[in-house]
Amino acid sequence: MKISYRWLARHVDLSGTTAKDLAKELTLSTAEVEGVESFLPHLSDVTVGHVVHREKHPDADKLSLCRVDVGQGEPLQIVCGAPNVRAGLTVAVATAGTTLPGDFKIKKSKIRGVESNGMICSERELGLGVEHDGIWELPQGLTVGARLGAALGMEDWVIEIDNKSVTHRPDLWGHRGIAAEVAAILRRPLKPLDLTLPATGSGAPCAVHIESDACSRYLALRVEGARATRSPLWLKSLLLAVGQRPIDLLVDLSNFVMLDLGQPNHLFDARKIGPQGIVVRKARAGETLKTLDEVERKLEHSDLLICNGDEPVALAGIMGGEGSKVTDDTSHLVLEVAAFHAPTVRRTSARLGLRTDASARFEKTLDPELVPLAAAHLVRLLQAEQPEVKLGAPATDVGKWTSAARTIRLRGERVRTLLGANLDDAAITDILVRLGFGVTQDGDALAVRVPSIRGTKDITIEQDLVEEVGRIYRYGNIPEIPLAGILVPPPRDERRRLVRRIEDRLAGSARFHQQISYSFVPDTTVEKLGLLATPHVEVMNPITEGASRVRRSVVVSLLPLIEPNRRRAADVRLFELGKGYEPVEGGEPQERHEVALVLARPPRKAHARFDDTSLAELQGVVEDLVRSLGLEGCVWSRCEAAASWAHPGRATALRIGAQDTLVGEVAALEPGLARALGLTGEIESDVALARLSVDALLAATPRARRYSPLPQFPATRVDVALALPAERGAAEAKAALERCGKGLVAALELFDVFEGERIGAGRRSLAWHVTLSAPDRTLNESDVKKFLERVEREAAQLGGELRRE
Amino acid sequence: MTQDAASVRALLGEILAALSSAPESDDTRTLRERLERFVALSDDALTPAVLLEASAVPLGAMRIFPKEARGLVGSKANAIKQAAEAALAAEKEAALAKALEAERSGAGFDATMPPPRQACGSLHPITQVTRELEDLFTSMGWTILDGPEVETEHFNFDALNISPDHPARDTMDTFWVKTQPGAPRLVMRTHTSPVQVRAMRRLQPPFRAIVPGKVFRNEALDASHEHTFHQMEGLVVGKHVSVGHLIAAMKTLLRGIFGREIEIRLRPGYFPFVEPGFELDARCPFCTEGCSVCKRSTWIELLPCGMVHPNVLKSGGIDPEQWTGFAFGLGLSRLVMLRFGIDDVRHLLAGDVRFLEQF
Repeated sequence: MKISYRWLARHVDLSGTTAKDLAKELTLSTAEVEGVESFLPHLSDVTVGHVVHREKHPDADKLSLCRVDVGQGEPLQIVCGAPNVRAGLTVAVATAGTTLPGDFKIKKSKIRGVESNGMICSERELGLGVEHDGIWELPQGLTVGARLGAALGMEDWVIEIDNKSVTHRPDLWGHRGIAAEVAAILRRPLKPLDLTLPATGSGAPCAVHIESDACSRYLALRVEGARATRSPLWLKSLLLAVGQRPIDLLVDLSNFVMLDLGQPNHLFDARKIGPQGIVVRKARAGETLKTLDEVERKLEHSDLLICNGDEPVALAGIMGGEGSKVTDDTSHLVLEVAAFHAPTVRRTSARLGLRTDASARFEKTLDPELVPLAAAHLVRLLQAEQPEVKLGAPATDVGKWTSAARTIRLRGERVRTLLGANLDDAAITDILVRLGFGVTQDGDALAVRVPSIRGTKDITIEQDLVEEVGRIYRYGNIPEIPLAGILVPPPRDERRRLVRRIEDRLAGSARFHQQISYSFVPDTTVEKLGLLATPHVEVMNPITEGASRVRRSVVVSLLPLIEPNRRRAADVRLFELGKGYEPVEGGEPQERHEVALVLARPPRKAHARFDDTSLAELQGVVEDLVRSLGLEGCVWSRCEAAASWAHPGRATALRIGAQDTLVGEVAALEPGLARALGLTGEIESDVALARLSVDALLAATPRARRYSPLPQFPATRVDVALALPAERGAAEAKAALERCGKGLVAALELFDVFEGERIGAGRRSLAWHVTLSAPDRTLNESDVKKFLERVEREAAQLGGELRRE
Repeated sequence: MTQDAASVRALLGEILAALSSAPESDDTRTLRERLERFVALSDDALTPAVLLEASAVPLGAMRIFPKEARGLVGSKANAIKQAAEAALAAEKEAALAKALEAERSGAGFDATMPPPRQACGSLHPITQVTRELEDLFTSMGWTILDGPEVETEHFNFDALNISPDHPARDTMDTFWVKTQPGAPRLVMRTHTSPVQVRAMRRLQPPFRAIVPGKVFRNEALDASHEHTFHQMEGLVVGKHVSVGHLIAAMKTLLRGIFGREIEIRLRPGYFPFVEPGFELDARCPFCTEGCSVCKRSTWIELLPCGMVHPNVLKSGGIDPEQWTGFAFGLGLSRLVMLRFGIDDVRHLLAGDVRFLEQF
């Protein structure tokens, strides 16, 4: 919202206070000022001149050769093309070196062979209007040579206020409201403004019928003998300063009153309002209205209409209708000033995408008591310009409004406690009175009378008054007070500790990059997973089509990241800690804390070690992670109900602890999905993914870390290759070796896997480094021999053999 | 070796002299010739190896010398042998010293050669800044809380004194979750503030808590607007908690973030769940005269805050006559951008490893 400094000065004495000062004061006490700009700064470069002589240009019929006194030595010779230029006129002169709007630089030049030392300007050339029927004929009596802006009293500064910072202050949506704040801050009085309605004739008032609660007050007033003439300069320049394009006196005054008092209003051509008068009602389904911007609007039942009898003539509080607007030949008007239900206006305006200065104000909940004041203001301003304007009939002022004025009890102690400032009751009273509140003593508290204009929305409880006091007192004057109290350490946050340890391990020794993703997952990804039919938490209004689903699992967020990152680097190692959501019918969704990992790299080389795969490495990372959390007893098994992203034949489930708690799954990427994700050609990849449940990890009991004594006697290492039927898993082979060790197996490490004719079809050989040790002696040849004999027997029982070669 | 050569020749001469007293025979002649060949050698030719050979010749032919001369010949020959061995040792030592010298010169080493890259992982910048703040606040006795990202309309709006007609509820800003008719309405939480009321219901005042987390706004994406970003809510409820406490806490927060005293100012700001409500500006930590970060104003709008609205305390089951509190909502994503000089918010969640590996 733009606020004009000069406009404010109509309401409060600003002497000694610059626009910049105001911006700072308002920022600290009232609302956020986004900037201050000089209005038409070039006006102070333009000079008041007097045309002393005019003759026809020797070589051009339509050009004049003028001698213009600009108050400095000899009059300047200027060539002018305007038809109305003549000797004796006071004019605006842009001398050489001046820059006009549109970055138009004035230079000395020759026009048709004759020297011209500047330009005599039109209003349009100065940025003051659209008229271009000649040069601007300035009022007589201005000092020749003076700066134009100062001479006309038009120097102004525009203070831009952030609209969002005043959404709760309907009273600040006009200059008088802002001026009242300034008056309170600067301790100056607000200048009086006569807002009583002038005498009216005794004709028939305009009939008004309110048929909807969405209109609490409607004032209609017949105004006769007005003409849509050009607005005076003061009006035009103020409107221009706040970014309004001047149209004609009637439209301009209507806008002026809105921008002055914050109360929108509307002028109908009285010829378009029939004898049934005005009806305020909700729209009927299927009804339409062509608004002033010449757009045919489709209406809904929730929209509020102003009608001539039954015929819609305006969209209440938003925009008038094209058919009833004031035209050049209008002389009789019906002035509407009303109070409309804020949410109704807001909803219609939002639905139609039609936000106007009027709707912006109505949706803030305006004070119904402003209605007659705005009507009087407009009539008085109009009569000042056109004294012949008459009010033929009394105003019709109907509706069921209630004043928002109220009295609130304010305890001085409450102010002091909440602000932490030592303000006595007198200081509190002083501030409130400056702000226009009435204050009387009420026992040991203050009874504060809130005027209606502040009571519609902003000030309803005691704490609101504390804010009023605090902001005028200035928060910067409040001393800082350290928080004091008995300091106890917050309860141990096990989840957060766990999450940090997971993050540190994965980003540390595991060398993964942490990613944080959107919670929304694109339908394209969900579709590739074949999960479109699976229920998801879904938003009704996604940011783009096809991005309405909230992830069920964090893994899904990582899938689309593999392809672009693989194009940039050979290895992609990402993890994310976050939440997945599973919808619950009729309730809040189930929230799951997960760790998701992805490991992608170029396909495995033909002669790579058996465990040189992304899957094996990722399992290693996960097992290390789980161990680092103090959790023991990792058991890997084939994952029977693999996720849709998992390779059905290469999916593992990880269980831990005595309870065999399932903590997650690690799997190669589903091969079809790999193709769908674009991992083909030169970025064909060996991809493994993991999903771990933070909740399950949190529920598992970590084993307290205990020191185990260092071995006293040297260990013996023996390599054992067990060829077993392929359907027997590595876990079985491992268990068999441990059994055979009879407590002597200190460590087992798988180092080779072999399949081939040498060991027989359907068999697989697993080779292990076995470390044997005893706590009380050094093992000898016979211990190893006995161990191998037991392994041989065990292997035979399992349908295989101990290989010796 | 000149000196030694002379003394070796002298020793050889004494041996030859001893030989002259031996009876002439072929052996004697051959031996003399062999010895004389050594004497005739130039100084340079008398290398330690040759001397060793020279000492071996008389020792290997001792029987040719007369008995009475053998003792002398033996001692002279041994003297030659010792001289040879000493020279050999000196030569070896010199070679070793030379080799060490060569090794020390570091020839062929290029100190500017890039070392092989150690692969490493990284914590997301949001995690890093969140942790810093969590550590700061927990050190002052604050609790860290968490809340659901899919939130009920009640906690996100109603309980926070945001009226049903408040524009923030419009579909413009809020992601509404599809729900069954009649079921409680759900939203993607638009701020971390709903956890305020959840906290009040869980904790007994007095308490201090922060809530870092993800929030969602239905906004068009550009370099400074994201529909998903991170916030950190702060909430203190206690006896006589005032604006003065809020100011002190915020200054402590900024000291923690920037490592030095930062001037702040509070100015009015409107948020339905606080009264009075403020915008907190911090003096731009990057300039003194205005820069692009502070948009030439020397102030950075850092966080909205305020005294908890009595209606919100009531929603949380806390008596506003007994207790007061303050709350703030720090834009974590924005702070991360400030901290690391990130110019486009969209990098934060994009998952580009080239971005992530920088942290």
